[in-house]
Parts: sequence; C-alpha cells; structure tokens
Amino acid sequence: MASVGPQLASPVPAVSAALPRPVRQALSRDDLVMRAGLVLVAAWLALSVVLPLWALLAKAFEGPDGGFVGLANFAAYASSPALATSLRNSVLVASASTVICVGLAFGYAFALTRTRMPAKGLFKAVAAIPLLAPSLLPAIALVYLFGNQGLARWALFGHSVYGPIGIVIGEVFWTFPHALIIVTTALATADARLYEAAIALKASRARIFWTVTLPGARYGLVSATFVVFTLVITDFGVPKVIGGSFNVLAVDVYKQVVGQQNFRMGAVVGLVLLLPALLSFAVDRLVQGRQAALLSARAVPYEPKPDPLVDRLAFGFCLIVASAILVILGTAIFASLATYWPYNLTPSLRNYDFDNMDGGGWESYRNSLQMAGLTALFGTAIVFVGAWLVEKTRRFEAVRGLVQLLALLPLAIPGLVMGLGYIFFFVEPANPFHFLYGSMAILVICTIAHFYSVAHLTAVTALKQIDPEFESVSASLKVPLWRTFFKVTVPVCLPAILDIALYLFVNAMTTVSAVVFLYSPRTQLASIAVLNMDDAGDIAPAAAMAVMIFLTSALVRGLYGVLTRGVLARTQAWRRR
Amino acid sequence: MDRSAAADAAEPYLRIRGLAKRFGSFTALEGIDLDVYPGELVSFLGPSGCGKTTLLRAIAGLDPQSFGTIEQAGRDVSSLPVAERDFGIVFQSYALFPNLTVRANVAYGLVSTGRPRAEIEARVGELLELVGLADQAEKYPARLSGGQQQRVALARALALRPGLLLLDEPLSALDARVRARLRGEIRDLQRRLGITTIMVTHDQEEALTMADRIVVMNRGRIEQVGTPYEVYARPATAFVADFIGKMNFFRGRLLAPHRAAVEGAELVFEPPLELAAGAPITVCLRPEDVVVREVERRPANRLEAEVGVMEFIGNHFQTTLHVPGTNLDISADLSINAVRDLGIRPGRRIPICLPPDRLRVFPEPPVRG
Repeated sequence: MASVGPQLASPVPAVSAALPRPVRQALSRDDLVMRAGLVLVAAWLALSVVLPLWALLAKAFEGPDGGFVGLANFAAYASSPALATSLRNSVLVASASTVICVGLAFGYAFALTRTRMPAKGLFKAVAAIPLLAPSLLPAIALVYLFGNQGLARWALFGHSVYGPIGIVIGEVFWTFPHALIIVTTALATADARLYEAAIALKASRARIFWTVTLPGARYGLVSATFVVFTLVITDFGVPKVIGGSFNVLAVDVYKQVVGQQNFRMGAVVGLVLLLPALLSFAVDRLVQGRQAALLSARAVPYEPKPDPLVDRLAFGFCLIVASAILVILGTAIFASLATYWPYNLTPSLRNYDFDNMDGGGWESYRNSLQMAGLTALFGTAIVFVGAWLVEKTRRFEAVRGLVQLLALLPLAIPGLVMGLGYIFFFVEPANPFHFLYGSMAILVICTIAHFYSVAHLTAVTALKQIDPEFESVSASLKVPLWRTFFKVTVPVCLPAILDIALYLFVNAMTTVSAVVFLYSPRTQLASIAVLNMDDAGDIAPAAAMAVMIFLTSALVRGLYGVLTRGVLARTQAWRRR
Repeated sequence: MDRSAAADAAEPYLRIRGLAKRFGSFTALEGIDLDVYPGELVSFLGPSGCGKTTLLRAIAGLDPQSFGTIEQAGRDVSSLPVAERDFGIVFQSYALFPNLTVRANVAYGLVSTGRPRAEIEARVGELLELVGLADQAEKYPARLSGGQQQRVALARALALRPGLLLLDEPLSALDARVRARLRGEIRDLQRRLGITTIMVTHDQEEALTMADRIVVMNRGRIEQVGTPYEVYARPATAFVADFIGKMNFFRGRLLAPHRAAVEGAELVFEPPLELAAGAPITVCLRPEDVVVREVERRPANRLEAEVGVMEFIGNHFQTTLHVPGTNLDISADLSINAVRDLGIRPGRRIPICLPPDRLRVFPEPPVRG
C-alpha cells in the first residue's frame, strides 16, 4: 500500500507480508442447496432435451444392423424421387403460407398499433383464437367449407381444396397469431419523434410509411417470416387432414415412423426439418438484439392520431381477417353440431358421443385434461425454479450458462423432431428410463420440454424485473433462502407464473406434433383422437373433439382472466400506489 | 475538534489487509489496507468506477475479494459466506420487499431468529419509533416517499443489532432537500446507536458533512484516509486535491526543497519537498486561501495582481487574479466584506499573498510507491 500520504490520521498498517493467497469464499447452506438444484435442472434438461435429440442424430447415421453408416441414409433419401417431391411441396407450401400470413399479420398489426380504429380489444381477442385450437381444427373446417360436400365449394372455381390450397389456408389460420404477436411487438416500439421529424420535413404519408414505419418493423418482419416458415414446414396436422395426395415432409416422417416403422428414414427427414428451425432460431437471436437497440431509452412512445380514411380502411381490413377466423371456427362448431352433414343439419350432440366411436372416446379427452394439468403444474414449477436458480445462484457460472443454453434449445426443435427423438431414446430397452415409454409421464415430460423455452424466457424476464439485491438483503438478515423465495419472489412474480401455467396448459391441450409418436392405447389424447377419427373418416366427431379442445382452452383462458382480475387484484394490492 | 473516535480506540473494529479484487484481467481493487474503529462513520469517497462499492461488497461478502484478509471484531471473516457475517446493509435501491408492509419488512430478519412474537413486535415498534415511521407501519413501500422508504431500509438493516452498518449510496436516489435533511438524521442515529458504519458515496459534500473519516479512492486504490478537514486542507495527492473542493493547479520546477519556480514566479512553501532541484512539480492552492487583507504583514509569496471579472456568487465573489510579468492566473474567492473594505474592483491592482503553508506541492508526474 503506497499512496497513503505521510499525514495519515490512523496508524499506518504494516505492509502485508508474503505472497497473497487467493480468497475462496466458503459456501453457505443456501449456496449448496442452490447449486445442487441447478445441477438437477441441468440433468433434467439433459435427459428431456439433449439425450433424445442425440438419439435422433445417432439414428440418422445408423445402418439396419445398428452400426454407423455415415451419410448412407441421407444418400438413400436423396435418391428417392418421392421424397424429393415432398421436399419441393413442403418448401412451396411453407413459402406461400409465410408470404400470405406475414402480410396479413402486418396489416392487422399496423391497424392495431398505428390507427385509431374502434374495437381493437375485440380484434385482438379474435386473432388469438387459433392459439386455442389444434392445427387440425382449421383443416377440418376447410373440408366442410370447400370439400366435396362443402358449403362454399363454388368459391374455389373448380380447384380442389385437398392439396396446396387447403394446406395454405389452414396453415395461415393456424400461424396467424404467432406472426401477429411478433409484428405487433415490433410496431408497438416506435419512436414518435421520428414521425414528428418526418412530418415537419413535409414527407408524404406514403414516404413516411416506406422510410420510417417499414424500416422500424423490419426486424420483426424477418423474425416472423422465419418463425412462420418453420411452423408450417414442420406442422403435419393440416396437411395430414387436407393434403390429399399432396405429400409434404412432415407427413412423410409420420408415415415412415408410425406407418412403416422405418425409424432411420424418419430420423433423416426429421433432421432435414431441423435445419429451417435452427436457422430460424439463429436469425431470431440475432434480430432480437437489433430490435432492442432500435429504441433508445429516450424515445417518445408513438400515439396514433385519428385519421378517418386510414382508420376506416384498417377497420375494414381487420373485419375481413377476423371474420375469416370466426367463419373457420364457426364452421367447425356448426359441423360438429349437425346431425348428418350436409343432409340433416338439425343440431344434436350425436357427434359428441365419443365413447361409441373409434379414437379413444371421452377417455382421451380426460387424458388430455390430465396431461395438460400435470404439464402446467410440474412444468411451471420446474421452469420457474430453474429460471430462478439460473438468475440467483451466486457464481457457479459454468453450470448457470449451461442451463441457460439448454433452456433455450427447445426453441430450435420442432415438436415433430422432439417426438421422434423421444421414441428413439426411450424405446431402447437398455435405457434405464425405458419404463416411462407408453406412460402418461413421458407425454408430460415431452410436452414440458417442447414448450420449455418460451416459459423459461417469461420467468427470466419477470425475475430480472425485481430488485437484484433481495437475496443479498435476506442473506445479511440471515433469513434462509427458501423463505425469501416463497414470501417475496413467488408473490411478486405471481402474474408471470400464472402466464406460464396458462401457456403450458393451452399448448398441452392443443399439441399434436410431439405426442403423436408417444401415446399408448392407455394414454390416448384428445388432439390425437381428432387425428385418428379424421383418418378413420369420422370427420364430424373429429370436428367435435377439436371443438372440445378449443372450448377447454378458451375456458381456462377465461378463468385466467377472471383470476388475474379478481384474486390477483387482491393479492397484488401492494402494486397500487 | 476531535471528531474521530479513532484516537481513543486502540483496536480497530474492522481490519483490512492487502485486499485486491480482479475481474479477469481487470483490477478493480489493489493493495487496500484499512482500519475502521469502533463507533466511527467512515465514508468511501471517489468518482464512479473507483472501486468504492466493490470494496463495500467485499466487506459484506457479496462479491468476495480475490486476495487479502478482512477481520471484523477480531474474527477473520475473509472467506465467510454472507449469512455468517455480522452486518446490516442499505442499498441504493433500498431493495424493500414490495409485497410486504413496512412492519413486515422491518420484522423480516427477526422472524427467522425464532424469537417470541411479542418480542419481535416490541422490537419492530422500537425500530419504527427510532426512524419516525411508527404511524406508517401497515403501508406498502410503494405508498411511501423516497425518504420514508430509505428509513424503512435503515430500520430493517438495524433490526438484528448488527455490529457493522453498510450504506451503499444511501441518499443518491433522493432529491436535494430530502437528502440534506436525511444526512443529519442518519448521522444522528448513527451517533446515538454508536454503530460502526461505512458509507459509500460519490458526493463529497455528503462525505465531508457526515463522516468521521473519509477514505478517498481512485482507480481501485486508496489515495488518502483522513478526517474531512485533513482531506480538504491537506490533500495527500494531486487527485485528492482536485477531487475535493475547488483548486488552482500550477506547473513548476523545484529550486530548493521549499522553493519553486511556478509559471514565471518564485514561490516558497512548507513543508519542504525532498526532491532534487529541477524536479517537475504541481502546486495547488484553494481559491479561498488567497489572502488580500493585511498583506503587508506577510513577507512570503507577496505578489501584485490585477483583478479580472468578478462574479457574485451570493456569499462571496469569485474572480481571477492575474500576476503581471508571470503566467500566474489565480482563481480566488474573496469575501464580500474584504471586497467592500478594500474597494476591490475589476481592473484594479491589489497586493495579494499566497500563504506558504496553504500551498500544496506534489511531484509531477505523481509518484506511486
């Protein structure tokens, strides 16, 4: 120590002797518990995400005798003309759906964020409807609308809905809310000063749109494009129902694995489907950083001003889109209630008599409820505790980084690929977890893993918003960690926790892609029952079951709304100033 | 005025030796040796990034040091986890639990000790009384003003009767008037409880008015430790001279240990600086130390100066004095009655004196050992 001057008031301490030894802080019990917890979460994610994915990779490079064959499977795949056709079809359909869907979503989002049109709340609610139904529902509704006995068959001018037309309409319906959320977010973060500057410089309305509005939303549009493309190319619900003889990759996987038990070819196609998803993931990560940078801390939020012409045009546009969504949903409901389409349209509940049909009966609906409930319960607990451990564990950087990475990985894995990985991994009798195969537990585990990332990000965002020193204060007051977790962290994050639970529940109700490979006769699910009944030609009961899924999701969402307004208002009284 | 409890106590309460903190290749703290005596309020003062908060967090164990030891009350706490140390802390953000009432916030640490309910309630009542918030006990933190929140955080930190109180920029989130009032309140409370306290601040006025001793820090090192008066009147380094208060800086060369050529003038100073003649130096002088009265009775450093523009600041005049024939431009604060009595006006020539014992001389460039 040198720089203390000669006129130091306190006695000058002797210079500390010898070589310094690095200080290692002893771990408190809380530290140990948190580290153990973090290791458990890492192990959980390794088991439920990484190992199945690894199994899929291994399977794709494996010969009939189980040995490593390099790229032989890929070569066999590439030389098959049928599969090449599927690839072309998939890209075609996904591209068309993406262009239409992102275009519609941009118009809708623009109307919601940049105009003063009436009924914005209603339009927002209608746009969220597709999230509450499996992708099979729009496909079935399209059969009723434009199929061979469809109500509006004339509208296609002789073209068949079975094929690319049907697939594209169904996919646009199903992916619309996903694109809308992304584009709305991008458009909502606008700096009013840019618009004021443009107006002051006498720029025309069109010029402002091209030079200010569109560039501001470009990252959102890129992100939405990739997300929609990935969703469509990996979805097999819509093409399965309405694709007819128009083959696409996702359906090929299903046929290879479920139909022909050809796991190796399934794995190869699965890997091919992983590519756009990985690309989309990478682009999304890249774009998100840029989007955040666009809006500086000093930006002034944009407030749209009334403009009768634009407002009316926006209202008309939203009305058309929202009507289309409602017509598709309404058709499914109507068809499910018709006694015998199209000859006897008297309403009856005949099609809801699931127990007297193939496909699992009401049992599958109860299974779905159970699966969704368990997923919401355990998933929320695992995700929130995991996110909390990642955020709050002191030091231990390597494991925290690993868990963070593993938690985001599922975002890049389509459900179809995830489901394939699960069978390859759990079907092995040598696997100590083989006993899970065919159980309800494996469906729950797979669904939690499939939707882990978004839930994790929600939890992390909520945790980042609370004061980082809560844990420090607690430690200085010698309060054990769990007490602060339950007394402060959980209550403060309750809105986010309920969000996560709702997200997991609704997705568990509607998902088909991953679980279709994993269910057993005892664990038949409602969404799979829709698929199987449609396959067996029982289209009306399939519609009825899809409607049941929609109603359940909508009900839970409604309950959530009541809960947030009622119970939360009381428990969150402290939020009011 | 003996404000320092240090003089009476032989044994320091907190003893820091050879402390260093590295973040990768970046050195945040280096060679920190410091003693804090029982019952004193020590302030860590420095510009942002100087390491003062890092040092506080190392003492708390929140971000342990890389090297060095910390002894508290004779016990080596260097490697103890946070919960096994003995301190209460108030953060800049206060970190009050938003979903708990004021009462529950203050009782938070007490509940875990397993004391009987009646005792906890009595202690919480006592603490709220102490910080003057007894009537706000059932409110949530969001409903309190910034100053009230700050006092709740203080009461919560004191609940377990810690041996050491750590305050991290406790007043910086408040507006100026509340800040001035709370300064006095915290100081009062600290004296009444006699609790050893460390306060981190970047506000020199706060440090000067509240602290028994100030630890001035810069670039991860301690520049000076001393009472507010010592730090102000006798800065140990050019950095301290510059950081605290206003200061004139002149460049010069040493002629003899107590004499230097400065901007064309020859000045004497004391105490002498034991360096070779010709060594480059920096000479510092506070604006208020320029003497204009009874200059004829002071033979040393007597100069003739021309008065520049005079700015009326309120309780004094601020002006620049130019010494003709030299490059000396001295910023000076002149009291109102001196200006009135001596008839000082812009453009006039007046005799001035730069008292040798008020000149601070530092080697240039600064020497670090």
